[in-house]
Amino acid sequence: MAFDYQSHLTTSDTGVPPVDFSHCSEMAPYLDTPLAMYVGAPGKHGYLRLGFEIDPRGKSILRDLDRRAPLIVQQALYFDKGMPEMPCVYILSSGGPNVEGDRYQQDITMNKGSYAWISTGAATKLAEMTHNYSGLVQHITLKEDSYLEFMPEPVYPCRHTRFISDTTITIDPTASLFYSEIFMGGRKYYKEGELFEFDILSVCSHAERPDGTPLFREKFIIDPKETNPRQLGIMGQYDVFSNVIVLAPKDKADEIYAQTNPFIDRENRVACGITHLPNDAGLLFKVLGMEPGPVKKIVRDFLATFRKVVKGKELPEEFPWR
Amino acid sequence: MALNITEIMRLLQFTDSTFPVGTFSFSNGLETAGFENMVKDKATLHAFAKSQALQAAYTDGIAAIAAHRAYLSGDYDAIVEADRTLILCKMNDEARQMLKRMGKKLGELGKKLFDSEIVDHWLEDIKNDRTPGTYPVAQGIAFAAAGISEEDLFCSHQYGVVNMVLSAALRCVRVSHYDTQEILYDMSKDVPALYDKVRKLKVGEMHAFFPELDILASLHEKGNMRMFMN
Repeated sequence: MAFDYQSHLTTSDTGVPPVDFSHCSEMAPYLDTPLAMYVGAPGKHGYLRLGFEIDPRGKSILRDLDRRAPLIVQQALYFDKGMPEMPCVYILSSGGPNVEGDRYQQDITMNKGSYAWISTGAATKLAEMTHNYSGLVQHITLKEDSYLEFMPEPVYPCRHTRFISDTTITIDPTASLFYSEIFMGGRKYYKEGELFEFDILSVCSHAERPDGTPLFREKFIIDPKETNPRQLGIMGQYDVFSNVIVLAPKDKADEIYAQTNPFIDRENRVACGITHLPNDAGLLFKVLGMEPGPVKKIVRDFLATFRKVVKGKELPEEFPWR
Repeated sequence: MALNITEIMRLLQFTDSTFPVGTFSFSNGLETAGFENMVKDKATLHAFAKSQALQAAYTDGIAAIAAHRAYLSGDYDAIVEADRTLILCKMNDEARQMLKRMGKKLGELGKKLFDSEIVDHWLEDIKNDRTPGTYPVAQGIAFAAAGISEEDLFCSHQYGVVNMVLSAALRCVRVSHYDTQEILYDMSKDVPALYDKVRKLKVGEMHAFFPELDILASLHEKGNMRMFMN
């Protein structure tokens, strides 16, 4: 009798930690079993471990790499003209969009003095779902004097998408992190449009010092059936939302804050705001817009300020194909 | 009956806009929303107030209820946990300042009104930076100490948030007293369902998604408009 891979291989056999959000009350309506491959099956339980460090020659390199399908990282490239010494890494998924029952975990460690740029190769698509949900756990650790620019491409939810993520950041007071996320309201131009027709997006990011001292905790739940995202004060008329967390030593964060001006551009229909995170942890920058391009441009301009203040280096022009 | 009347009297006292904690001086970004023409009439003010009420319910409301329950069960650590968690979740600098300023004021008033070891302990911890001393937690403690129920606490919390916005609106939005009273009257009918959701959530489940409000608050924080603190 043939081995039934759909139901017999357990998550522990893949050798990576389980990813489970069943304790989160907002996911309670979405815990039923997928009809296709079971939750956490090989190929649906992606894992990525990236460790950067300074090698004996003083070069920042991707030293540690472990992965499970569908998450893939190719070799680090050094293509950033503003910081040619910086390893640049694209996270890819060989499975296409995130589908129901997918569980991913990404652990990124920046060892002492190392620096890196991480993005995704293309937008992350969250497929239409009828059973269960897709979940992502991330652990980002920055040790003394390390530096990370984490700027993935936008996330596109579809109709009835259910997605939840939890990102734990552990950061030394001397390290600097730029962590951005861009969320589309949905596939705007697909058929009649699917804006805010997903079931739920639940996104939590929280940070702490290496000794466990908590710095901040931001959680947002977008549940269009519960609260209309079009309400004034939430998304209003905007279709795209970006959240950027900057964690940096206080003097650097204050300088970035001083150089960044919030605005509402009624003509081009984009807006952004900035504020200080609790406990002098850094800054929170938010952008709203109608299309991903202008929002990405504002986030990238903010990255340019971050890089200039923290590293004294320029951010090159974005590649025309990005 | 007599007890119930005392409770209602205290509920009115703690919810009144003259209660000396400073609620009158914050507009929650309304001036900027008015300047940007986003809040310009009764309908837009209603929507703005609704977002403010929801944002507060899933953060401040959860903390207030947790502190109320913790006071009644004598669990001081749970009061501190609610206090610290709320500050970690407050993403706006001016909002954090406001909550801490009002919380300390209410705590100091509570010391005069109640003979309570918990109130004394909490005030001492605020002074020594062991706990931030937020207003919703102070409300939870004060309402429990005064014998006011959790449901009434939530009503007072929601009323305070909405009334703060509507009072400010009379000074910076083209609306009348009739308009603001109609908004307030209408919003009250949503509070029971909101309370039913919020009361089931734990301190670790606080959440908020109001990017437009966040951007308005940020513009106010870095801008020149200073009719109100925020």
